[in-house]
Amino acid sequence: MAKHKKHLLPLTVAFSVLSTLVAIAAEPARIDGKWFAYPGQVDPLQLTIEPPPPIPEPPLKPEYLAQWRALRAEIQAAEQRGEPIASGYTHCIPDGMPTMMQGMFPMEVLESEGQVTIIQEAYQQVRRIYLDDEQQPWEEAEPRFWGHSVARWEGDTLVVDTVGIKENVMFRNVPHSPAMRISERIRLIDDMHMVDEVTVTDPEYLTGPWQWTWMYARNPDYKLYEYVCENNREYADPETGEARLRLFGE
Amino acid sequence: MKARSTLRRTWLHCLLVVCTLGLSALAVAHHSFAMFDSGNQQRLVGTVTQFDWTNPHIYIELDAADPSGEIKHWTIECANISILSRLGWKFNILKPGDMITIVVAPLRNGEPGALLKQLMLSDGSKWGNGAPAGPPTIDIETGEKLDG
Repeated sequence: MAKHKKHLLPLTVAFSVLSTLVAIAAEPARIDGKWFAYPGQVDPLQLTIEPPPPIPEPPLKPEYLAQWRALRAEIQAAEQRGEPIASGYTHCIPDGMPTMMQGMFPMEVLESEGQVTIIQEAYQQVRRIYLDDEQQPWEEAEPRFWGHSVARWEGDTLVVDTVGIKENVMFRNVPHSPAMRISERIRLIDDMHMVDEVTVTDPEYLTGPWQWTWMYARNPDYKLYEYVCENNREYADPETGEARLRLFGE
Repeated sequence: MKARSTLRRTWLHCLLVVCTLGLSALAVAHHSFAMFDSGNQQRLVGTVTQFDWTNPHIYIELDAADPSGEIKHWTIECANISILSRLGWKFNILKPGDMITIVVAPLRNGEPGALLKQLMLSDGSKWGNGAPAGPPTIDIETGEKLDG
């Protein structure tokens, strides 16, 4: 009996090492850390790997597509005249979803028990993604800037589902209904790069899925700055809607 | 193999150009600097009266002499804490009373406000205003037009 016990000890140790290794192997690759938009516009990065293709035009239904193109043309013409039309930024309104996933500044991803939290430095935007939680029907979802996000890990890919985006929170001025759904597949492509494959669907406005890919480059040493819109001197001209600068003492 | 890597580099370069152009359009949609005339840059030498290290923009208030010698007050819009911190600026880089030289893009409407393109401190150090604001087109030391 004592002899058998002697054999059991190495077996127990071997089993415990093996189960730890299996647990590590099953652990999804960690996406937490500090990420810069790649290749980046505000903080351009050196091109090290192939960047994602440009975002295609949204597959809007013909009547909405015509309006959207006209709006784009109007914005562009105003730019060229040097009379820019005020945007949400003129009023210090944060991006919301999905724009914040490629916001102006770097973002921080935090993984914790049952939750992935994403902080975008610009406007200190915080997005909470609940893991293995049930999504509510969009009809019941309170409209928000960042909506309601749930996710699950499929191997090394975080599959996120988001509903409940306020109708005035738009990406590239594309209109949407309360039924808009944003699906994302977020994964590492190597230790230093991450992708977010985004698919937007909206039965009311879109003829099919609108898809694009965003990329990120890791910067482990970066510390996010605080961002409070405390000294906004830009405003929209009440008559023309043009963005203007309030000068000192005005 | 070498030809292939050259081809790849060229391809990446083309992609970068396309992306930069595409993203510039996006930047315009985000936050426009079109109210400033980047094609008509000016060099100003003056004294800082106030420095606001704030978001969404940093502002330099400046008293600068115009060509006739008359002192005029300017409000200079800079990028923001995030962009300029990453370029090495600090909250105490300027203080009232500092003499500085700047290159700016003035407001198109003729008011004394401008977008900063470049700053030179009295120690001769030069500071940019980040990618979205764009580069200076005139030399900060001489006011001469820069090549390119």
